[in-house]
Amino acid sequence: MTNATIQEIEGIDDYWGPAFRSIYEGEGHEAFVQQLDERIKQHDKEIEKLCNFHYQGFIDSIRELLQVRSHAEELHAEISNVDANVKDTTDSLCAKAEELIRARRVELNIAATIEKMELCLPLLTTYSKLKSQVEAKRYYPALKTLEQLEHVLLPRVGPYKWCGQISADIPRLRQAIQDASMADLRDFLENIRELSPQVGAMALRQTQEMLGRSLASIVQNKKDMAVLGIPTNITAGPQCPHELVDFSPLHRCLHIHSVLGAKNDFIQYYRSQRKQQARLVLIPASTNLHDSIVGVKNYLNAVLGFFILEEHLLSAGAGLVSKDWLLDMWGMSVTKVASTLRTNTSLITDPTLMLSIKHQIVLFINTLKCYGLPTDPLPMLLQEMAEHYTEVLMQRWVGVFRDILDNASFLPIEVANQDQYDGVMDTFPYDGDELETEPFPRKFPFSTIVPAVYVQVKEFIFAWLKYSAGLGLGGGRRAAAARHSASLLLSRSFTGCLSALFRRPLPLMQLVQIIVDTQYLEGATLCLYEFISNITGSELVTTQTAGSMFQAARDDAEQQICDKLEKKVDEFLDLENYDWLLVEPTGQASSFVTDMLSYLSGVLTSLEQLPERARVAAVRAATNRIATRLRNLLLDPAVKQISSGALDQLNLDVIQCEQFAACEPVPGLKEGELLEHFASLRQLLDLITGWDWSSYLHDVGIEGGKYSLVTPRDAATLLEKLKEAEQKSSVFSVLKKNERDRRKLLDTVLKQLKQLQNQDGS
Amino acid sequence: MAKTYDYLFKLLLIGDSGVGKTSILFRFSEDAFNISFISTIGIDFKIRTIDLDGKKVKLQIWDTAGQERFRTITTAYYRGSMGIMLVYDVTNEKSFENIKNWIRNIEENASADVEKMILGNKCDLEAKRQVSKERGEQLAIEYQIKFIETSAKDSLNVESAFYTLARDIKAKMEKKQEASNPAGARSGAHQIRANEQQRKPTSWLSRCSLL
Ligand SMILES: Nc1nc2c(ncn2[C@@H]2O[C@H](COP(=O)(O)OP(=O)(O)OP(=O)(O)O)[C@@H](O)[C@H]2O)c(=O)[nH]1
Ligand SMILES: [Mg+2]
Repeated sequence: MTNATIQEIEGIDDYWGPAFRSIYEGEGHEAFVQQLDERIKQHDKEIEKLCNFHYQGFIDSIRELLQVRSHAEELHAEISNVDANVKDTTDSLCAKAEELIRARRVELNIAATIEKMELCLPLLTTYSKLKSQVEAKRYYPALKTLEQLEHVLLPRVGPYKWCGQISADIPRLRQAIQDASMADLRDFLENIRELSPQVGAMALRQTQEMLGRSLASIVQNKKDMAVLGIPTNITAGPQCPHELVDFSPLHRCLHIHSVLGAKNDFIQYYRSQRKQQARLVLIPASTNLHDSIVGVKNYLNAVLGFFILEEHLLSAGAGLVSKDWLLDMWGMSVTKVASTLRTNTSLITDPTLMLSIKHQIVLFINTLKCYGLPTDPLPMLLQEMAEHYTEVLMQRWVGVFRDILDNASFLPIEVANQDQYDGVMDTFPYDGDELETEPFPRKFPFSTIVPAVYVQVKEFIFAWLKYSAGLGLGGGRRAAAARHSASLLLSRSFTGCLSALFRRPLPLMQLVQIIVDTQYLEGATLCLYEFISNITGSELVTTQTAGSMFQAARDDAEQQICDKLEKKVDEFLDLENYDWLLVEPTGQASSFVTDMLSYLSGVLTSLEQLPERARVAAVRAATNRIATRLRNLLLDPAVKQISSGALDQLNLDVIQCEQFAACEPVPGLKEGELLEHFASLRQLLDLITGWDWSSYLHDVGIEGGKYSLVTPRDAATLLEKLKEAEQKSSVFSVLKKNERDRRKLLDTVLKQLKQLQNQDGS
Repeated sequence: MAKTYDYLFKLLLIGDSGVGKTSILFRFSEDAFNISFISTIGIDFKIRTIDLDGKKVKLQIWDTAGQERFRTITTAYYRGSMGIMLVYDVTNEKSFENIKNWIRNIEENASADVEKMILGNKCDLEAKRQVSKERGEQLAIEYQIKFIETSAKDSLNVESAFYTLARDIKAKMEKKQEASNPAGARSGAHQIRANEQQRKPTSWLSRCSLL
């Protein structure tokens, strides 16, 4: 038993539990522990033996190991060294490698960029080209470039941000181009606004030259040029007015807008702009066209220039201007032109200015015809202006006539020698056959105003005809109109001046001369007509008689002569100083009567040159006045008494007057005609001085009786005065028998006369 | 019936053409002036009544044509006038020299006792003056005539010239009346008329053909 257990334990490595239990539960513990000890002492001996055997080897090994340790340390150092070396060398290498890698990457990038850039470059150059084109205002190519940019180049390049910008820029650029071309158009419009007056002026000049061209002048021109060695068809400067204007901006604009697809808008825009311009052109720059011709010229030039340009565009403007549109606008404008001119010319008072304006309008009309524009209200305007011109001339000549009359002496012209005589005969058509033979000084029947006015009427006709020249009127019509104006001038303007003259207190003799002068002027109208037909080259028309052109003025003057004479008579009669109680008449006429009659006969002789009618009227007026005044004197209620002496004195004075009347102070009177003015006075005086009451009262009321012109009232009035005077002179004396009878008769007659008056109801 | 005047004086204006006779008369009768010259033809007259020492004096003033061609007509009027104004133009030497001729004319044609006066007219035209006032004065003294310078334009001395002449005529006439009517035994019933003194047997009618 014990030995077995130890073997068992030694044989099993680990399942020691049952062995331990058997030991623990069997009785041989001591034996087992002794065996075990023995066993252990055996193992120790074996270990010792083993150790003794291996010891030498162990020591050798340790020795060797120590040697390995130093060797290892050596190796370690060496390796560290190498490692450091390697580390050193590889560091820079690594850096380079990294650098290389980076460079390689850059290189790759650059290549890629270049590739991309090459794609972009055309876009950019095009873009810059576009910019410079825009800058150089070459809008049309710019638009083309834009197109290319938009449709070719941009899609080719990728979606870069800047491309986006450019794309976004394109509409803006397009707008800018449109705007800029519009601005160009505006510049153009501005420009032609300034140029069109020059265009108009040139056109007018050409028309003027054309009108003034005659075969002779053309030949002369050619000769001149040949002499100067100038080739005939050398052209310097524009030949046609419209060439003054450069239309290319307009055409460019039109192109651009066509490209932009806005051609119609553009045409519309152009037309509306021009319409506005037209409106401006039609308002004259200087508000007072009636001040000077320059204003009118500028105005017409501007209008004409405007339409010449439009007319040019009609043929060369690719639809910018249509015929209808042009005519429509012209129609509107020409009416306005006419009305502007009408308003302005109606204010003009200067005939020279009127003439220049007329000339300008005629030229304007002719030029319009050249350009195929209708002239219509303008000829009418010229007609109206002609009337105004006549008015203006007449007004001017009123001034001339007034001057002539103001400075006239109204004395017959007296010439002292042949020169002076010829001077008058040259200016005025006078049939001087009788005068020719007379010695100097010779006296013309008319005064200086006659030749002066005659010359002025001729001047007027000249001035008047100036207007109708170039209007294309026939000679006959011109002459008729000139005749009409000339006689209007005389019958209205000159007569008006005469009437104004009569308002001044003109001496009698001057009035007479004026009447005479008007006759000579009237007589000369035929010569004026002759003059007219000579300068108009038309046939002489003699049917129209000037006749009584100045009749109104003459009547006026004649009336004045009568008035003046009556006034003079009044003045003389105011000097009357009768002593109504005169006892003995002086036996002589009163001095105021003799003075008056001698004055009158003097005046009447100098009325010799007057037409008979006027002379007769004058003498009638004067005589009638004398008779009336004397008669009134007799019947004046202020004169209460008249003595028979006074009556005799008055009778004597009346007899003087009757003698004057009887000796027919002027020819052309009916026999005894003037005496009739004194008839009623004479009958009254005869009745009273002859005391012929019975026949008066017998014949009263019978036609043609001896005292038929004496009314009972007048007879009574005078008789009363006589009675008063007689009573006064005999207040204190006792009446003689025959005086008493006379008083009685007187009372009876007075009673009868009163009765007659009552019967008549007067 | 109230008389319209106490005296009637007939005055005459003579002198060369253009010296201003008509203007002087126009100034005196109408108190107006006209710059334009309308030479008088033949003869004309104006009437103005003035007041002299309480008497109403009618002046019938005859204006004659100065032009030679009317001389015969105008001299016919010398005889009847009671006062004559001899007018010259101070700016016209010739018109002054002619005064002597006019005086001779008066001596030949007017009544011997006619009152005269010399007027140097246009004295407003100092710058154009050709005849000094002293020479006018000298001439007047030579002929024992009153002298005054006038201006029809400026209304200078025109009034006083006519008044002076009228006053002298009146004085002369009253002196004559005194002489023919000694002790002043006048009835006073009515004035003796001035023109009665002038009445000459020759009727004016007989001169009908003179004109
Ligand atoms: N400056 C100036 N001019 C005067 C004056 N008096 C007359 N005149 C001018 O002289 C010119 C002649 O005047 P009139 O009064 O017509 O002359 P007149 O003496 O009547 O001439 P006849 O009738 O021809 O004899 C007119 O132009 C007047 O205006 C004056 O006092 N001063
Ligand atoms: Mg005169």
